[in-house]
Amino acid sequence: MTDPVDLAPASSAAAPASTPSQPTATPSQPLPIRDSKSATDPAQQDKKPKGKPAAPATASGDAVAAGGEKVLTPAELKKKAKEEKAARRAKEKLERESGAGAAGGSAPGGAQGRPPVTPKKDAAGGASQKGQKAPPPRRGSGPGIVSHTPVVEQKKKKDDKKVAVFGHLYGQQRRTTIAGAAKEVHPAVLALGLQLRDYVVCGSSARCVATLLAFKRVIESYDTPPNNSLSRHLTTVLSHQITYLSTCRPLSISQGNAIRQLKLTISSIDPSTPEASAKTTLCEFIDGYIREKITVADQVIAASAAQKIQDGDVIVTFAGSSIVKQTLLLAHSEGKRFRVSIIDSRPLFEGKNLARALANAGLDVQYSLMHGVSHAIKDATKVFLGAHAMTSNGRLYSRVGTALVAMSAKERAGGVEVPVIVCCETVKFTDRVALDSIVVNEIADADELVSNQLPQQVTGLADPGAHTPAPVDPKKGGKAAPKEPTPAPSASSRASSTSPLTEWKDTSNLQLLNIMYDVTPAEYVDMVVTEMGSLPPSAVPIVHRMSTNM
Amino acid sequence: MATETRSSAAAGAKPFDIVASYNELLRSDPDLTMPIAAIEALVLLLTKEPSSTISETLDLLEKSTTILKKANPNPIGLSAGTDLFQRYLITTLQRPGQLGPAGDFKAIRTHLLTNGRLFIRRAKESREKIAAFGRGFIRDGCTVLTNGGSRAVASLLQKATADEGLPSAVRFRVIYVLSSFKNADDPSGEPEGMETVRALRAKGVPVSTIPESAVAYALGKTDMVIVGAEGVVENGGIVSRMGTYQIGLLAKAIGKPFYVVAESHKFVRLYPLGQYDLPINQHVIDFKYDDDITEQKEEPTTPTNGDRQIELPLCDSVDFTPPHLISALITDSGVLTPSAVSEELIKIWF
Repeated sequence: MTDPVDLAPASSAAAPASTPSQPTATPSQPLPIRDSKSATDPAQQDKKPKGKPAAPATASGDAVAAGGEKVLTPAELKKKAKEEKAARRAKEKLERESGAGAAGGSAPGGAQGRPPVTPKKDAAGGASQKGQKAPPPRRGSGPGIVSHTPVVEQKKKKDDKKVAVFGHLYGQQRRTTIAGAAKEVHPAVLALGLQLRDYVVCGSSARCVATLLAFKRVIESYDTPPNNSLSRHLTTVLSHQITYLSTCRPLSISQGNAIRQLKLTISSIDPSTPEASAKTTLCEFIDGYIREKITVADQVIAASAAQKIQDGDVIVTFAGSSIVKQTLLLAHSEGKRFRVSIIDSRPLFEGKNLARALANAGLDVQYSLMHGVSHAIKDATKVFLGAHAMTSNGRLYSRVGTALVAMSAKERAGGVEVPVIVCCETVKFTDRVALDSIVVNEIADADELVSNQLPQQVTGLADPGAHTPAPVDPKKGGKAAPKEPTPAPSASSRASSTSPLTEWKDTSNLQLLNIMYDVTPAEYVDMVVTEMGSLPPSAVPIVHRMSTNM
Repeated sequence: MATETRSSAAAGAKPFDIVASYNELLRSDPDLTMPIAAIEALVLLLTKEPSSTISETLDLLEKSTTILKKANPNPIGLSAGTDLFQRYLITTLQRPGQLGPAGDFKAIRTHLLTNGRLFIRRAKESREKIAAFGRGFIRDGCTVLTNGGSRAVASLLQKATADEGLPSAVRFRVIYVLSSFKNADDPSGEPEGMETVRALRAKGVPVSTIPESAVAYALGKTDMVIVGAEGVVENGGIVSRMGTYQIGLLAKAIGKPFYVVAESHKFVRLYPLGQYDLPINQHVIDFKYDDDITEQKEEPTTPTNGDRQIELPLCDSVDFTPPHLISALITDSGVLTPSAVSEELIKIWF
């Protein structure tokens, strides 16, 4: 996975598979274009002659040679970005004015018909094209089924697929391949980006550590160009990596905090320091940061949280938090006798790994899904939760469903209060304030909700031969399945036999929402265990201030 | 507990006996709070026991603290003191300069001891400070409900009666909730707090004493509740005399303000999640059969403890009042909301 060469062919192989489904694809450019920015250029060519300089690079571009493109200075890139933006605005305006009738017209039509860019590649467009890129880039099966309709009509339909309240969160389409990544992006970061996107690296701390380690490799292989100082230039190099990572999956709070600290350290390096020693300093800083803020912090948290577990407890936990796992395992190894009830949810099923790990360690584990929460909470004595972040108003920002578990514990009818304990490193503290889970959140691919792994079904099968059960890695949940380009005929039969939602994009009045996080009110949290001690949620801003000032 | 003290005193006649000196200090000065007595005992220990290195000192401190905590059925109060002292030592030793790790240890030691005494003196003065802060809460014509034998509450109420020689400026009434448990330390068998009641009455404050069962009844006639605390825990809740929790619950239900008076050295690094999560071995709820009672009458309870913590006698039992029941904490560092306690604690510890 760390080898980018492995990934590149895979992506280019996937691309042609879906190209046939796009009748607009012109044969002149059979290969997808790797740079999103240049990808829009052909569209602009008829309007903006300025776009031309980039065009040759586009034509010669191929997916593998990430570094082979003509070197653009940051200034040029900026200029290009500006042009793009202007063009996009103009297009949008035109669209609005002329309405659907103008579909075949020059600007929007040209943009849509951008020959080489399959929907997959649209993702590479990332932030720069969000306005118009509403149609989600669908993995294999999606576009395969869609019979080609007039461009604008199709787009309109897809626009409906955004849930209105969360409309502001759809902005960025997730990158699906490394094609189109800026050439400055380091291979290690390229690989990490895809791992993040596929939830291979999942969980706030894991993402933070992986990012820092990838950045360490970036720093190790970094050479200061002449007439530049490390402290100035390295930051811009890192920015490219960060931009790339954020197009794969929005950055977590912990990643943001770690990056901020790293940048601060870089900029505080004396320009007169020799490059080698500066790089050593930075690598040492990264190692120290991981050790101090995550590895050791986790041990401290686990030790102090495990003290709260007593014999006979029934611990309820939600999804799969690594720190909660560590806590429970530690308490178990200390000889405490308690039961664990894991509540899990679709589509990530993060609790499965936790359940297996705990069961293997010899703990008594009960596993149920979210809809069994009121049952599971009935005999609970404590609730342990992991965190994605803690906001400054003491609220817990964590995997969607956490709030429901916390609330069930607190509002349990007629029972003794069940303490809700959050285990959270101070890296995950943020000075942001969250009042609800709408303003800040993350929307994942709604197709994740569609895929449905049916258990061994004996009756009512349409055709056992046509039904190809998707080989699903439990770790990746349902995401592995839809990624595979499925031939259109079998897809339709599958749709009838498996999930009725498979064709949700063609069903009018149907929207799917796959939200990632929710916010638990501070009143539902009794205690936050951090490496700096146990705190009430109201103390989060104080500790955050202290830990960032140190 | 007495046997424990005697036996350890006999066993360690030569080395300094921390438990004996702690108990002696508490006995000799009725105004002394548990954390301060613990700190004073530790300062005494450091003066008596020769130690020549920092780690030796810290080790000695650690060991004595553990002994002291083990020997006490309710270590919450004293652990506030020992933790504070230990923390103070470490921060002093870590500070760069003459008194830091590089400095002369003898100088460090004397510095520590003098500062320790200074700390004790300041802590004793803190009650005056609290009274000054808290006096504003007691308005003319109001009725205050209180319980237990808190000296901080007593000094606050007494301060409110008279303002530096002036005739009583504030006229207020006190409803004193008397515990149904007999005070074990008092040979007269008077419930805790009678002394304060007498003192207040002598100062011209009308005092009514009620049993614990009448609290809900009396709260309607009350304007505010003021209680003392044994320890203030990290989430802003308090560990206090048994019965405080129910007063808090009732006050919340009826909508009367519930104030806690506590010195800031009573802040403990402890985070109880509920009533049964306290590091105290107390058997308030004790299920018994008929047989058990007859059996108990025949043979008096044998002091069974080896390595285990001693059981807290019923009259000294405590409960935990969660922070959401507390309106404000009146401390010597000002009037704090419960959530500000953790901030204060973090300031001390980091």
